[in-house]
Amino acid sequence: MKNMFFRRHFEKTAAKKGSFLTLLLLGFPIHLFTLLFYLLKRNDPTYKQKYAQKVNDLRSSADFTRWTQDFRKQEQAKAQFFNQSVKEIELEAKVSELANEKLHKEAAMQLAAEGISQPSYKRFFAGLLENKTFVALTFIPGIFMYVMLAIYSNPFSYFIAARILQSVFVIAGVAMLVFTILYLSPFDPARNILGVGATQEQVDNFNRIYGLDQSYLQQLWNSLSGLFTFDLGTSFAGKEDVAQSIINKFPVTLEIAFVSLLMAIIIAIPIGIISAVRPNSFIDYTFMIIALIGLSIPSFWQGLIMILTFSIDLKWFPATYNPSNWLSLVMPIIVLGTSLTASIARMTRSSMLEVIHEDYITTAKAKGLSGRKVISKHAIRNAMIPIITVIGLLFGGMLGGASVTEKVFNISGIGSYIVDKQFIPDIPAILGGVVYIAVTISLVNMIIDILYNFFDPRIRSKMKKS
Amino acid sequence: MKFISDAKLLLKVTQEYKTAQFTLAFSAILTLLFLFYSYDFQAGHSRPVVLIFFGIYAVTTGLIVLSSWRIKKDLASSREIKRPTRLLGLPLVFTILAGNIFAASYGFMLLSKNKTAEYTFAVYALLTQVFILLISALNIYKPYVVDSFLLAMGAFIGLSIFYIAMIFLIAKYVTPAAAPKWMLPVGIILLAAVVTGNIFSFLLGYSLIQKARNKDASAVEKWQKMWQKILRNTMAVFGLFFIIFMFSLSVASSWTFDYDFATENNYSALLQTPSLEHPLGTDDYGRDLFSRIVFGAQISLIVGFFSTIIPAVIGGALGAISGYYGKATDNIIMRLLDVLYAIPGILLAIAIIAAFGANTTNLIIALSIGAIPTYARTMRANVMQISNYEFVESAKALGASDRAIIFKHIVPNSLAPMIVKATLTIGGAVISTSSLSFLGLGVEPHIPEWGNILKVGSAYLETHSYVAIFPGLCIMLLVLSFNFLGDGLRDALDPKAN
Repeated sequence: MKNMFFRRHFEKTAAKKGSFLTLLLLGFPIHLFTLLFYLLKRNDPTYKQKYAQKVNDLRSSADFTRWTQDFRKQEQAKAQFFNQSVKEIELEAKVSELANEKLHKEAAMQLAAEGISQPSYKRFFAGLLENKTFVALTFIPGIFMYVMLAIYSNPFSYFIAARILQSVFVIAGVAMLVFTILYLSPFDPARNILGVGATQEQVDNFNRIYGLDQSYLQQLWNSLSGLFTFDLGTSFAGKEDVAQSIINKFPVTLEIAFVSLLMAIIIAIPIGIISAVRPNSFIDYTFMIIALIGLSIPSFWQGLIMILTFSIDLKWFPATYNPSNWLSLVMPIIVLGTSLTASIARMTRSSMLEVIHEDYITTAKAKGLSGRKVISKHAIRNAMIPIITVIGLLFGGMLGGASVTEKVFNISGIGSYIVDKQFIPDIPAILGGVVYIAVTISLVNMIIDILYNFFDPRIRSKMKKS
Repeated sequence: MKFISDAKLLLKVTQEYKTAQFTLAFSAILTLLFLFYSYDFQAGHSRPVVLIFFGIYAVTTGLIVLSSWRIKKDLASSREIKRPTRLLGLPLVFTILAGNIFAASYGFMLLSKNKTAEYTFAVYALLTQVFILLISALNIYKPYVVDSFLLAMGAFIGLSIFYIAMIFLIAKYVTPAAAPKWMLPVGIILLAAVVTGNIFSFLLGYSLIQKARNKDASAVEKWQKMWQKILRNTMAVFGLFFIIFMFSLSVASSWTFDYDFATENNYSALLQTPSLEHPLGTDDYGRDLFSRIVFGAQISLIVGFFSTIIPAVIGGALGAISGYYGKATDNIIMRLLDVLYAIPGILLAIAIIAAFGANTTNLIIALSIGAIPTYARTMRANVMQISNYEFVESAKALGASDRAIIFKHIVPNSLAPMIVKATLTIGGAVISTSSLSFLGLGVEPHIPEWGNILKVGSAYLETHSYVAIFPGLCIMLLVLSFNFLGDGLRDALDPKAN
């Protein structure tokens, strides 16, 4: 039995120039040998003979005379239209050129239709892939190429791989960008830490210890590899292990962010739905004005007002964060989740309003479904699709805004860590903090994107077709 | 005019009735707030000043209830609002002196049958001017005033009288389609009045000149239609009013407010509670909080404006190029912008400010860079859609260059969503500015900026909470106004989005 799997996907994938080059690169140990083999065998005269034969056949056929006449008519009509006088010799030369061009095209096409094609490396290699023994022998050296072919074989795996690759590039880009910004800084961390009285020798020594005397590219490489291996060295001030401090501080931030997100979803989606079901009613106006206020309130001010009311006046919650007291988390969660709740409520409302006016809702109503069923079975499920994507994007903004909330409530999370380190500026700490937050956001968005493509039937069927 | 037979439907489409309901809600809320604050629960006595305000607002609310009831009755009996009902607007107009902008604008609306965009502009120009006059007048309780104070106050009073005259003239002579010829010089004076920062006056002048010249009827109609759509949205109008008021105040404050009160330390008046001399009290260096907040509006508006316009231009250009050329150009530009998009704006701003230091210029640059990708995405989507229209194809067939096609044909047609986006994001920029200042990463600490004032306030939260409350309220109101205006603009300019 021949193995058609790899051959079929090789042919499909190699049709694109870029992917063919990638395949060559990924499987270059195999291609090194097969290419050599191919070059030795290439000068196979059979195709050339057959091609010449076909051209001769066609030239003597009635078709060729008809083409020549057609082209002559066309050229004459053209000359007449533009009021140009064309010499007979020029005309004949043009006509025969056009006719010959068509002849060669037709010959190649007819040969291809008969299953005889010009030998090429692509075809040669595709033929080899049919052979099971060949695949088995070359599987280990060409593992990357085979993996790529396997990924390309399925639209879902292709999409997931492309999305992961994109995220990796974005993350590397983020790391480079943030490092470059910090590298260009006119501040001198050595002077800031050692004080103005430091001698030149001390400064040089400091720069040597932290690698600040190296070239831009060298430092960039160190930082990037440090980021990917979770080894960022020690911070300039305090000499603590940066990666370790980030790992210690990340959980609090994530915990608050995720609980806020959950709170936002639980509160906002029902509000958005109620508003959309009764548009322009009193309850709709009230909800939307409250949502707009929630969107407009600066989070640090909201935090201060809440501390003033609930900690100082009413003494319900403690004003500052304390890991052993869950009550101290209530206010930060509400503050961080407010603008997110407001945005999601507004999005849900507009998305629902859009869906409610679709034809399939009218159909569902005409079918005799109750209003409640139409909303819960047909409208909400369709309206949720864009909202999920938006939630992913808003989550990023929320993690970014966490630094302000953490400062107000004195939480030692990643956000306040970055803010504390910026005065020096402590390059590894800021770089690590910002990049790892960006990585978290990219990962969340990537997962949402992938799930979204799995669950949306429209996208699923579109993918299968392509 | 379509004839509407159903009285209920007539009630629904009558703008006056709808506004009456809105005004009633706001006025009632304000009345209740005054009632709540009129009694000092801790000290156990009432506050007479607040009680007077409560009285005024309660009467106002009563008047609104009455007028709304009469509108309902009039519409049911004679299908139009009768003259006595309209005259109820007259006492409501004077509530502006107690600061009730909602009731005052409703009063003006009720008074005139002829509601052109110009009438609304003139009314709001007057309201803005009177508000500025009232706010500036609080300075007379200070130990001294700036030299230009009397002159500026005189000019403001003169302008207010001029606007009142304009309201009468417009109600009488201006129709939705035309204005008399002699309005042309008046329009020019109104245009010139923009030096006080009163943009309503500018809009009014422009509108009048356009109508009085009577050259391009279609342009007049387009302008009128657009403003009618925007002005129909009550909340958007109040948003616009507050923004223009803040802008005008920050222009006028340099003539009527003394910058020294906002920045010079005064150790004889540390952390004083609100009084007539210091309407919002003083901070820990004895600086007058009221003056600081007024001058803070300047910096917030400047930073908000620039950190919106810069990314809108850069992102818009990148998005237009990427959307028009597509393929590799699009891919390269958008993938690079994806990198920027992956970092939350405020974190990128923190990183940039950490690297280059905290000051206003760096703050604007930092906020601008983070906002570029969103604008580029908005513009790209528009341009991709518009590139397929016939007029672009015909421009190509006529041999127009790519540059001319992009900037003359495509960009002007895709501006509306960009304007909406920009309005909605100015609010975000204002919040980011004060948040970063609060963290010590924004505007320099000695400059009176709302975030800086709040930072001081947060240290005295327990004992002197008003230092933290008032600047926060201002931030919230300004951002809320931008959001209301943005929503209104979106509904008016981009019907698809609603």
